[in-house]
Amino acid sequence: MIVLGSNSEIAQAFVEKVLEAGEKYPVIYLLTSNHETAEKFARHLDVKFFQRTEIIELDLMREIDYTQLDEINSDLLFCATGYLGENTEEGLYNNKNTEIIIDINYAKLIPVLNFFAGKMERQRSGTLIVLSSVAGDRGRESNFIYGSAKAGLSAYLSGLRNYLFSRKVHVLTIKPGFVDTKMTEGLPLNPALTATPKQAAEEIYKAFRKKKNTAYVLPVWEIIMLIIKNIPEFIFKKLKL
Amino acid sequence: MKPNFIQKVTNWGNFPVVEKEIKSEDSIEKIKDFVRNNNEVIARGNGRCYGDASLSEHIFSTKRLNKFISFDRLNGVIECESGVLLSEILEVIVPQGYFLYVTPGTKFISVGGAIASDVHGKNHHAEGCFSEYLETFSLLNENCEVITCSRTQNEDKFWATIGGMGLTGIILSAKFKLKNIETAYIRQESIKAENLDEIFKLFDESESWTYNVAWIDCLQTGKNIGRSIMMRGEHAFKHELPKKLQQNPLRLKQKFIPKVPFYFPDFMLNKWSVKLFNYLYYSKQQKKEVKNFVDYETFFYPLDVVNDWNKIYGKKGFIQYQMVIPKEKGKAGMKKILETIAKSGNGSFLAVLKLFGKENPSAYNSFPLEGYTLALDFKVNPKLAKLVSDLDEIVEEFGGRIYLTKDSMSKSSLTNYLRNVQNPKFVSVQHKRILSNSN
Repeated sequence: MIVLGSNSEIAQAFVEKVLEAGEKYPVIYLLTSNHETAEKFARHLDVKFFQRTEIIELDLMREIDYTQLDEINSDLLFCATGYLGENTEEGLYNNKNTEIIIDINYAKLIPVLNFFAGKMERQRSGTLIVLSSVAGDRGRESNFIYGSAKAGLSAYLSGLRNYLFSRKVHVLTIKPGFVDTKMTEGLPLNPALTATPKQAAEEIYKAFRKKKNTAYVLPVWEIIMLIIKNIPEFIFKKLKL
Repeated sequence: MKPNFIQKVTNWGNFPVVEKEIKSEDSIEKIKDFVRNNNEVIARGNGRCYGDASLSEHIFSTKRLNKFISFDRLNGVIECESGVLLSEILEVIVPQGYFLYVTPGTKFISVGGAIASDVHGKNHHAEGCFSEYLETFSLLNENCEVITCSRTQNEDKFWATIGGMGLTGIILSAKFKLKNIETAYIRQESIKAENLDEIFKLFDESESWTYNVAWIDCLQTGKNIGRSIMMRGEHAFKHELPKKLQQNPLRLKQKFIPKVPFYFPDFMLNKWSVKLFNYLYYSKQQKKEVKNFVDYETFFYPLDVVNDWNKIYGKKGFIQYQMVIPKEKGKAGMKKILETIAKSGNGSFLAVLKLFGKENPSAYNSFPLEGYTLALDFKVNPKLAKLVSDLDEIVEEFGGRIYLTKDSMSKSSLTNYLRNVQNPKFVSVQHKRILSNSN
C-alpha cells in the first residue's frame, strides 16, 4: 500500500483498519513531508501489526524525485494530502496562502496522482482512493478557495475513473465531511455531523470493498450536499454558508 | 492562529459540566506552546474519571497522543504515548501472552490517566497499584521542559506524579512491565455471603487469590446487611481449560457491544428498580458457590459490555463515591456506612467492596491504604449532598479517605492528601475546589 500524506489521521486510521481486517501488504510506503511524525507512525505499526514500512520524503511544494517514486509498486494507493489554509478575509487576499491551497490540493498533486495512475494502468490493476471534500461540491463563502481546488480534484478523479475503467484500475473519491482531526481542531463543528478518524476509516474501507465510485463518510452528508447543490443560485448567493 | 473553541466538557459521571477550552495536539512543540501560553492547564485522557479531576480552564486532551512506541516481546515491556487506552494495549498484548499487571474496572482509560490516578484493581492486596510496574514516563513539567522520570531519574517528580492527578504536568509517554499469561481466561469462583461477617471472613480466606472483589447489595438492612457475592480468580493455565477453549487460548471471539442510545429519564432509576436489580443479581446465582472459567473481559470489565452505560443515570448525571477505611476499623465503619445508605434509600446498583493490601510508602499520592474500600454510584439528586456529607463524616470518624478519581463533592479534609503538586501552571477544577474549601 502506498499512502500519500501519511500523517493525516484519516490515512493512519485507514491503514490500521486495513491491517485489522487482516489484509496483507509486504511493505506500506509512507509518503510524507514530515519524516519525524511518519517514524512515530511506523513504530506504531510495527508494535501493533509487525508491519514493515518505508518512509519516503514527499513534499508537494518542492521538486518531486520521480526516480525514487518509480521504485515503489502496489495495487492500493491512499491519498490524504490536503491543506485547508486560512479561509478568512485576510486569507483570501493573501496570495501566498491562496497559492499553497491550490498547489497542495490540486495543481501540484495531479502530476503525482497521474504518475501512480500510470503505473497502475501499466500493471492493469489497482485502486486509487483519494480524499476530496464536500467543500468541492459547491463553492461557498466560508471556504471557496479550498473548495474550488477540491472541486478541481473531484472533477479530475471522475475523469480519471472514466479513463482507467477499461484499463482495470478503480478510482474511489471520498468526500469526508467533518472529521475530528488536527486540520479541524478548534473549529466549531456540529458533533452530529462529525466523524472520528476511526469511523471515517471504517466507512472508507467499506466503500473500497464495495467498489464504490464516490462516498461520503457520514450518510447525512450526502443529504446535506444534495440540498446545498440544489438551492437555486439566486437564493444561494444570499445565504451565509 | 485558529480560534480555540470553548466546549462543554464533562467526565464519566456527567457531573459537573463546565464550558472550557479543550485542545488536542500531537506535536511536542505545539503542546509546549499551549502550556507556555496558558495558566491553569490540566491533561485529560479518555474522560473516565467520574468528577472534576480532569477539568480546568485549559484542558489538554491526550487523544492524539495515541501511538505505540515499542514492545519488547521477550521481556514483556511496552512503551506508548499517554493517550493510548488500556483496551488498545490489551488487543496487542493478549495474543502475545501478556496481560496488564494492574487494571481498573474499565479498560477504556488512558495510560496517562492510569498513572495520574495510580489505578488499582482486584489484585491490589497481592500486586499493588499500576505504579509498581511502571518503569519510566516522560513529563512536560511546569517549566515547559520534557523530563524523563523513573525510580532513578527525577525521582521526586516520578513519585509526585504517581497518583498526582495531573497536577505535576502532562504525561506524554510511559513504559511499563507486563504480566505473562498462558490463556485469556480466568478461573473464577463466585461465593454468596449472607451478611457482612461472612463477606469479611471470605476476604480473609481469599487472601492467597490473586484477584478478589465483592459485589454488595447496599439496600439490605438488619441481619442481611452486607449481603454480597465474592468473586475471586486466577489467570487460567492452558491445561486447566475445557478442551474447546484450549485450541486458541489467547484469542477471544469478537463480541457485539450494544450502546445506551440516550439518557434515561429520571424516574427510571429509583429505590425500587435498584432493589429489584440487586435482588435479581443476587438470586441469579442459585448455588452458594459456583466455579467456572470466564474470559478476561467478563471478569475484569463487566460494565464495558455496554457502551455509554453512564447514560442510564439520566442527564443530571451521577457520582461515584469511593472511600477506604483502615483495616482494623473496617467492619464497624462499613456497617455504619451501609446502614446510612440503606436508610437514605439512595441505592446504588453497583457497590463494590474490596480489601486493599499494604500501601507503597514511596507512592505517597496514591489513594489506597491498607483496609476496606467501597465504591458506590449515586444518581445526582437534591438529597445527594446530604448523603455524601453524612458518609464523609463516617469516613472521617474511622480515619479513611476518598479516591480523587471519583470525587466531585466530598469534604476537603478527606481529599486534601496530595503532596508536592502545587504550581500555578497545572491546576484542576477539583484541586481548586479542595484548596478553597480547606482554607
